[in-house]
Amino acid sequence: MLTPIGRNVVNRGLPLVCAMGIALCAPSSQGHIVPPEDLHPTAESFRRIEFFLNLNPVPWNLVAEDVDLLETQLTLIAPTAATRFRSAVGGDMDLIDPEKAETPMDSGASREAARRVFRESTMAVAATLLAYLDSAEHQLKDTRTASSGVETARRVWASFEHEIRYSDPIAFRKLGEAWLELSSALLMSVKAKDEANPGAKVAFEEAATSIRDYVNGNFGPGFEMSESGRLRALPRGSDTFQADAAIPVKLPPGHNMNKQLPRPRQLLNMAERGIDEKDTILIALGDMAFDSPYIFGEPARSLQISCNTCHNKSITNPGFIIPGLSVRAGGVDVSSSFFAPFANNGHFDPLDIPDLRGIRFTAPYGRNGRFDSLLEFVRNVIVNEFNGAEPDPTLLDGLIAYILEFDFLANPYLENTGQLNEEASEAAHRGERIFHQPFDGFGGNSCAGCHVPSANFLDHRRHDIGTVKGSGPFSRDRALDTPTLLGIRYTAPYFHDGSQTTLEGVNLWFNDRFSLGLSEAELKDLTAYVETVGDGIEAYEDTLHTLEAEMEEFSFFLSAYEYLRQSGKSELIEITFSTIALEIHAHKWDVQDSAYLPVLNLMAELMEEASNEQIAGRTKAVDAIVAEYRQLHDEYADRLK
Amino acid sequence: MKVSLPNFSHWFPIFLAALLPALPVTSSEVKPKSLRIVFIAYENPDQLLENVEPVVEYLERTLDLTVKHFVATDYAAIVEALRNETADAGFMGPLQYVMAHRQAGAYPLLGEIYNGRASYVSRIFVRKDSGIRKLADLGGKTIAFVDPISSSGYMYPLDIFRQAKVLEGAPELFFRKIYFAGGDEQSIRAVYNSFVDAAGIGQYSYNLLRPAERDEVVSIAESRPIPSHCLVARKGLHRPTAEKLQKALLALNDDSENRHLLKFLYNVDGYVKVTHADYSEVEEIGKSYGFIK
Repeated sequence: MLTPIGRNVVNRGLPLVCAMGIALCAPSSQGHIVPPEDLHPTAESFRRIEFFLNLNPVPWNLVAEDVDLLETQLTLIAPTAATRFRSAVGGDMDLIDPEKAETPMDSGASREAARRVFRESTMAVAATLLAYLDSAEHQLKDTRTASSGVETARRVWASFEHEIRYSDPIAFRKLGEAWLELSSALLMSVKAKDEANPGAKVAFEEAATSIRDYVNGNFGPGFEMSESGRLRALPRGSDTFQADAAIPVKLPPGHNMNKQLPRPRQLLNMAERGIDEKDTILIALGDMAFDSPYIFGEPARSLQISCNTCHNKSITNPGFIIPGLSVRAGGVDVSSSFFAPFANNGHFDPLDIPDLRGIRFTAPYGRNGRFDSLLEFVRNVIVNEFNGAEPDPTLLDGLIAYILEFDFLANPYLENTGQLNEEASEAAHRGERIFHQPFDGFGGNSCAGCHVPSANFLDHRRHDIGTVKGSGPFSRDRALDTPTLLGIRYTAPYFHDGSQTTLEGVNLWFNDRFSLGLSEAELKDLTAYVETVGDGIEAYEDTLHTLEAEMEEFSFFLSAYEYLRQSGKSELIEITFSTIALEIHAHKWDVQDSAYLPVLNLMAELMEEASNEQIAGRTKAVDAIVAEYRQLHDEYADRLK
Repeated sequence: MKVSLPNFSHWFPIFLAALLPALPVTSSEVKPKSLRIVFIAYENPDQLLENVEPVVEYLERTLDLTVKHFVATDYAAIVEALRNETADAGFMGPLQYVMAHRQAGAYPLLGEIYNGRASYVSRIFVRKDSGIRKLADLGGKTIAFVDPISSSGYMYPLDIFRQAKVLEGAPELFFRKIYFAGGDEQSIRAVYNSFVDAAGIGQYSYNLLRPAERDEVVSIAESRPIPSHCLVARKGLHRPTAEKLQKALLALNDDSENRHLLKFLYNVDGYVKVTHADYSEVEEIGKSYGFIK
């Protein structure tokens, strides 16, 4: 029965299976939060090693950590093989200088070492898997021990699964059945207890043999890689291997791209003034582009990374991390070989993700203030950091129009001059006096000399405060743009590299570095002041249920459709539809009443269909679909929450 | 907390239970020095052991007893642990409880509540692009279940086919191949990955797929309600200790300070008192299909 779904859905001939699937999942306010994969330590380390060895330059210190973990795991089940592995990679690992995070970019020696380490690591994983499988087979009489061995072997198998799924789909299925056969045979033996179960034993042995042969034949001692290109564990020895298969990029274990919950409250200046967002077309287009991975190139597009992934609702996403590209959560190296190899700057320089609130007041842009123009900065992000095509000027204008609307949080403790008002605490007022106090260590300047209170706590200049490691002893490449202190309570970690986790830590660092001579009490007061300046009203939304707001925002995206149609911006229309479809699919699992999942599915399908019709140039059909989408949204808006 | 039980007939025993001594009288008179609890691991056993540590600490504080906990990775081990008295209490599915009851006199203490209900259902999942739309389409196909003695992962899924009159003889004659994947996630992934044509598993298995994967899998049928998983005490467990254990976990329903512990206990919403009578339908189905002799 489709009671909640209504006429439109039924009229479109929603398949019965979808209708039956309406209550499949328990409602969750965090449905769009993707949990990390539950991988065996061996699989985790191997997948990270693969990711690291394909970076340029290779982060050898990280590789070494995971090589150690691989060895540790192998030692648990096959000590002799572990010794052989250590001996095989030892020469390359010994070359690592623990003081250095990387070797010189793309050196021939580094590439050769990477190939050797990858080959040996692949074989070590295969050895681990086979040792657990053999162990299980030798202990078939003890079914529980055997089950544990099989389960461990299967989890180690996950090291290779992604590549096999795409490059050898026939074997992927066949071996998937073999793993099922192993667990099945063991569970049947458990059920049968001590009774002889020769059928199960034979089934087990046959399945184990097929897995063993495949792993040995492809990833065992004869494992070979292609002469060039990405280092990958591909099953080249398999008869059904497809050499030309496209294998989607996968981020290493330990990554996190989930956005924070509760969601930061976003302040758009025109919305704060009561202007209907649907009347601000260019801003609507920019809002869509900010949420769209389709303005970027590969691999960001496939990984569904958009501006909003890192700058969630305009502020820092403190949980964002990609091992190998980040030192810590909340930062990433966007000038590495991963996102846009052609724009690789050749050294590891992850940056703390900046808060974009109040961005129209915070020029110059980039941590080192390398761009005076926001337009140039945003274009550089799209084209050179995330490998996107040259953006349409209208899209770029839209993004700028949208970003310029980001407001600072209102702060009830600050006068327009930037001075604290009487609502602020005594400690904060004492801290304010310290903030304005000249220090010898600052060359007679005060904190307020750079963080000018009347200018949104900025001086729009670049200073070398000693946090950047330069290219040489007397190099002049260490200056950073002065960051604002507004909203800073919500943007931890701090400094360009996120090396300070608290504001107290930041003040301590300044006190030590510049010999300010502040007492413990004074430091506390100064911290109270900075926290007060960095405070804001309702920094986060007060609900975990975000679907209703998201659906409203998607309608806002669509409000640019007519303008784009008149302007002949077909590509931008297509990006808009595809982005809405993608976003609905990402957020639909948040729906509190799963009976409305089919409505959300249908809305996503409509956008996908509209995108296809747009590509085919059937504008009347597109008009009709857009009208239908809007009608659905109007009809169900109060229930899609 | 509002609780919906599987069907009306289950309310009666609950009311009756309030009038009768809550737990069986055949128990040891000696207070144990420690309480041994066995948990069933649906996924990573080591992770489960770590996750339940705060619960164990809470129980030790509340019961004033040393609580030892361990993990079993299959249902048979749980039943065995209660039977051979290596565990005093254990978390298990309804069919394992009935087996433990019949084989070793175990009795239930608490039923788990999810989404306001002390029951759930099994479903038959297929890939959306498989072309399979109804149960009869699965004749001659492959299917994954969880475990040969699983309630929601075998017995009730089989019951779906039998109730629909699709399956009348031995399941092996209807399906081309039956697998026991060993876990809910392995089963639902076996469908997602096209290793099998279908899986018969508990409804919440679907949530074990990642959000982007869920659209590939659909349910084509569901079972009658299954009483939810339960905490079971072994026969002979010191009765006051069993009652204190029951009370301590039941208290989490309304204990704002410790309520967060529920998320470590299979992420339940809470507990409800149960008696053997709540499992009479499970017992009846189990007997009729030969799961219980």
